[in-house]
Amino acid sequence: MRLFHTFTPLSQITRCAAVLAAVLPLSGCFWFDGPQSTFDPNGPVARHQMDVFYVTCWVALFIFVVVGSVLAYAMVKFRARGEGDLHAEPPEQGHGNPVVEMSLIGASVLALVVIAVPTLREIWYTYEVPVEEKANAYEVTATGYQWWFKFDYPAETAQTLDATAKAVGAPFSTANELVIPAGRPVHINLRTVDVIHSFWIPKLAGKVDMMPNRGNHLWVQADKPGYFWGQCAEFCGESHAVMRFRVIALGPREFNDWVNAQMAPAHRVAAAAAGAGAPKAQFAAYRTFSRNEAGFTEKFDRSPLDSWRAQQLPGKDEDPALIARGRELFSSKTCASCHTIRGDGYIGVVGPELTHVGARSTIAAGLLENNRDELHRWIHAPNEVKPGNTMWVKGYLANNIKLTLEDEDALVNYLESLK
Amino acid sequence: MEALAKTDFLAKDDLPEKPFVLWRPTAKTGLMSWLTTVDHKRIGFLYGISGLFFFIFGGIEALLIRIQLAVPNNTFLTSAQYSEMFTMHGTTMIFLVVMPIGAAFFNFIMPLQIGARDVAFPRLNAFSFWTFLVGAIIVNLGWFMKGGAPDAGWFGYAPLTTRTFSPTHAIDMWVMGLQLLGVASIAAALNFIVTIINLRAPGMTMMRLPVFTWMTLFTSFLIILSFPAITIALIEIMMDRLFGTNFFEVSNGGLPILWQHLFWIFGHPEVYILILPAMGIISEILPTFARKPLFGYPVVVFSGASIGFLGFGVWSHHMFTTGMGTTATAAFALMTMAIAVPTGVKIFNWIGTLWGGHLSMRTPMMFALGFLWMFMIGGLSGVMHAAAPADAQQHGSYFIVAHFHYVLIGGSLFALFAGIHYWFPLMFGRRVSEFWGKLAFWLVFVGFNVTFFPMHFLGLEGMPRRTFTYDANMGWNTGNFWSTVGAFILAIGVAVYFLTMIYTYFRGARTTRDPWDARTLEWSLPNPPPEYNFRVLPTVHARDDWWYEKRHTQEIAREAAEHARAEDAHGGIHMPFQSIYPFCASVGILIGAIGVAVVDPANPAQYPGFWGPKIAVTILGGAIMFVSVVLWSLEGNEGYHIHLNEDGSIKDDAGHAPAGH
Repeated sequence: MRLFHTFTPLSQITRCAAVLAAVLPLSGCFWFDGPQSTFDPNGPVARHQMDVFYVTCWVALFIFVVVGSVLAYAMVKFRARGEGDLHAEPPEQGHGNPVVEMSLIGASVLALVVIAVPTLREIWYTYEVPVEEKANAYEVTATGYQWWFKFDYPAETAQTLDATAKAVGAPFSTANELVIPAGRPVHINLRTVDVIHSFWIPKLAGKVDMMPNRGNHLWVQADKPGYFWGQCAEFCGESHAVMRFRVIALGPREFNDWVNAQMAPAHRVAAAAAGAGAPKAQFAAYRTFSRNEAGFTEKFDRSPLDSWRAQQLPGKDEDPALIARGRELFSSKTCASCHTIRGDGYIGVVGPELTHVGARSTIAAGLLENNRDELHRWIHAPNEVKPGNTMWVKGYLANNIKLTLEDEDALVNYLESLK
Repeated sequence: MEALAKTDFLAKDDLPEKPFVLWRPTAKTGLMSWLTTVDHKRIGFLYGISGLFFFIFGGIEALLIRIQLAVPNNTFLTSAQYSEMFTMHGTTMIFLVVMPIGAAFFNFIMPLQIGARDVAFPRLNAFSFWTFLVGAIIVNLGWFMKGGAPDAGWFGYAPLTTRTFSPTHAIDMWVMGLQLLGVASIAAALNFIVTIINLRAPGMTMMRLPVFTWMTLFTSFLIILSFPAITIALIEIMMDRLFGTNFFEVSNGGLPILWQHLFWIFGHPEVYILILPAMGIISEILPTFARKPLFGYPVVVFSGASIGFLGFGVWSHHMFTTGMGTTATAAFALMTMAIAVPTGVKIFNWIGTLWGGHLSMRTPMMFALGFLWMFMIGGLSGVMHAAAPADAQQHGSYFIVAHFHYVLIGGSLFALFAGIHYWFPLMFGRRVSEFWGKLAFWLVFVGFNVTFFPMHFLGLEGMPRRTFTYDANMGWNTGNFWSTVGAFILAIGVAVYFLTMIYTYFRGARTTRDPWDARTLEWSLPNPPPEYNFRVLPTVHARDDWWYEKRHTQEIAREAAEHARAEDAHGGIHMPFQSIYPFCASVGILIGAIGVAVVDPANPAQYPGFWGPKIAVTILGGAIMFVSVVLWSLEGNEGYHIHLNEDGSIKDDAGHAPAGH
C-alpha cells in the first residue's frame, strides 16, 4: 500500500509519456498516398473494398469510443483513492444484470449487421466482372514463379517460330509488367508453377492467391491511365520480399500501340555503317551497388509512367557490333536455354520472356529501374539482388557461367536494345 | 471424493516386494526430485520456467526482425536469416511461450482452485511436460545445424515445405517438433479435463467453478479437438518428405490447399487456446481488485463455451484470398462476425465487474485493465478482417501483424503477466514490488503500442508481412522506425518485469496468506502451498468460496474438523509416488524424433536406398519409450500417506516410506 502511494507521481509521468508516444508518430508523418496505399483506390474493385473497410472502421471506432468511455469512466469513478477506500466495507456483491446483458448482446448483433450487409454485397461484386461488363472484359493470365510474374495475353497473336522454324501465330507473353487497357475490366487468371504466391495491386484490387493445382482469378479495372505498384503477398521463399511487379494502364490507342509493338519480333539495330570496328570500351562506367540498395532514381520515382513511356522510344547511340556480340553471348552463355527472345531464335521458357525487355520500366521482377547500371548490377551478381534466385542457382552456379566485364557490357547493350 | 477413496487409488500401505526396476524414487530435493516429480505445482513451475526461457529466445528473434526493418534497404540480416527469424519467432511464441505459460497456470492454479491435491494422472502430467520440452528442443535444433532453422513461416504452407522447395532437415525438425508438442498438449489436456470433472472438492459444483478453471476446461477441450487436425497434416507432410507420398506434391497432383484447411482447422481454435486462459486469468483478477464478484458469471462462462464452439467454424477466414468462391467466403465471414458477440459480451461483463467496485490499482490490476484496452483494439480489428472484401487488402499485410499482436501480446501476454504477478505471492510466498511492477507495466504498455499501432497503417499502405527489405519510396519508413523504437521500449519493459520477478524470488519481502484479499480457494492455502495442498479437503459453499469462508469462519472450522477425522480414518493424506518413467519415455521420444527428423540415411552413393542409420536411431528411441511405458504401467499407481501434526508439520520424518499404522 505504501509503495502504491509513492508510485503515483511516476505513474502520471509515464502516462504523459504514453500519450506523447502515441501522438508523435501520428503527427503527419504517415503517408496515406504511398505507391501501394489502399487508401488511394484507382479502380472500382479497390474502391468497393475500401468502402467496406470504412464501414468496418467507423463501426469499430464507434464501438471503441462508446465502450472505451464507459471503461474509462468506471476506472476513474470507482478507483479506490486511499487506505480508507481499500479497507472500507466491500461494495455491494452484485452478480450481474440479465437485462443489461441481453440489450448489449442485441446491440452487438445490430452493429454486426451494419458490417455484414455491405460485406455480403461486395463479396459478390469483387469476385467476378459484372455481367453487363463481361463482353467488354480483357483477359490476361498471370503466372507466379519463384520469384517473378509472367503475363500471357491469350487475346493477342504474335508471330513466332514453331519447332520446325515455321512462322506461326501464338499469344505473346511478357514478364513483371502487366500492361492493361484503362477503363475496361480486366479478368486475370491466376496460376503458379511452383509454390503459393499472392497477386496484389493495392490501388486496383485486394490480393488473390495463386494456388498450385487450382485455377483462381481476379478482376481489376483502372479508372484512367496510370502506373501501379504490386507485390507478392504470400511468403514464397527466400526472395519473397523482392518479388514485385507493376501494372501499367494505358488509354485505348496507346494500349493498341503497345500490343502491336509487343507482337513484333525483337528489335534489330541496323548494322553500322562501314567503319564500325571493335566494341567501344565503356564498361568502366558502370556503377557499383551495395546489397539491398534501392534500385530507383528519384526522377523515376516522381513520374514512373513518363519513365515507362520514355522507355518505349528507340535507343540512341547504339553500337551494333557490341549488340551483336551480346546476342551471341546470350546463346553461348546458355541464357537462351531459359529466356525467349522472339526473332533472335531464343525459345527458353523457364525464365522471363525478354523479347522487349528494353521497353520495360523495371527489371528483376519490378525491383530495379531498367537502366544500364541496374541491368549490369543484376546480371553481374544476381544473388546479391535476389537471394537464391533460379538464374543464379540453376544458371550461373549449375552451368558455371562466368562473365567478364566485356561480356556483361555486351549483354547489357544487347538487352537494352530490345525495345 | 467418495469415489476416489473407494477405488484402488487408495494407498496400499503394505507394499509387496517389487523388483529393482520398479523402484520408486523418493528424492525431495536435488535434480532427481525434479526429474521424477509428479507434483502439479512443481510441474507447473517447470512449464513456467521453460516458457520464460523460450520467451527470451522469441524476444531476441523479434528484436532482430525489428532491427532489420528499422530503415529501408537494411542489410543487418540476410533474407535467409530473416526467414528463420520470423518462422521461429512465431513458432516459439505460440507453442513454446504462451501455451506452456498457460499450462503452468493450469497445472499450478487449477487443482488449487477446485480443492484437489493433484491432477488426476500425476505421472501423465510429468510425461506431458517432458514431451513438451523434447518438442521444443527438436524445433530449435536447427540453430545448431548446417541446414539452419525452420524458415517456411509458422504455418508452414505447402508446397513451400515439401522437399522440392525445402530440401534441408529444417522442416523435418519443425514437423516433428510440432507433432510432439501436440502429443504433450493432448496428454495434458485430457488430464485437466478428467481432473476438473472428477476431482472437485465436495460442494464444488460446475457452476461454482472459478472462471479460470472453466477456461482451463474449455481450452483443454479445444486442444483435444483441434490438435488431431494438425497431427494429420503434419503426418501427411512428413510422409511426403520422407517416403515420397503426394499429399502436397504439386507435380504429382497433390493439393496444397488441403494443408491450409487442415492447418487452420487446428490454427483457429489454437488462437482461442491462447486467449481463453488469458480471459480466465482476467476474470479472476478483476473481481479480486474490484472487491466484488464477477458480473454475469454464467454469461461469461457460456460465452467462453460459445467462443470455443464457434472457433471451429471460422478457420477459413485465414483463407479469404485463396479463391474459395463467394458462398464459402460469405459463410465464413458471417461466422467470424458471430464470434465477435460472445467476445464482446466478455468485455461488457468485465466492465460490469468494475462498475460499482472499489478498484485497487495494484500491478496485476494494471495489467488486467491494460488487457481490456488492448484486447478491445485487437478484437475490433478482428471484426474488420471478418469483412472479407476489406480483408482482401489486409490479408498478409502488416495490418494482420498488428491485429494478432494486439490479441496475443495485448491479450494473452498482458494477462499472463498479470497472472504471474497476481499468483506470485501464492507460488513463492513473496510479494513483488509495486514500484517495479508498475514501471514494468508502463514500459510494456507504451512500448507495445508504439511498436504495433503503426503497423496498422503500414499494412493499409500496402506493406506485406514477411518481407526482409523494403524501398524508401513506399511511405513505410516512419512507421517502421517507430515500430523498432517501440520494440526496444517493450523489451526493456519485459526485462524490468522479469528481473523484478527473479529478484523477488530470491530476495523479495515475505508475505502473509491471501495478500490481495482474494476470492477463490487457492488463496486459502499457506504460501507457498505444501506438497499436499489442502490439509483438509475443503467443502465448497459458494462461487467465490474463499470470500465466503472468510466470512463464515466458525462454520468452516467445524466442517474442517469433521473432514480431517474422516480422512484420518481412511489412512491420512494420500500422495502419489514419484516416478522416473515419464522422463525416460520422453528421452526415448527425443532419440526417436532425432532419428526421424535429423539422422540421414546412409550415404546413397555407397548404399543406395539403405536407411540403416535412420531406422536404427528411430527404433532405439522407440524401444526406450516402449520399455519406459511398460515399466510405468507395471510400477502401478500406488502412493503413500502423510499424517500431519497439529502445527501442520509431517509426522513421519521420511514421509515417503509406506506409512505405518
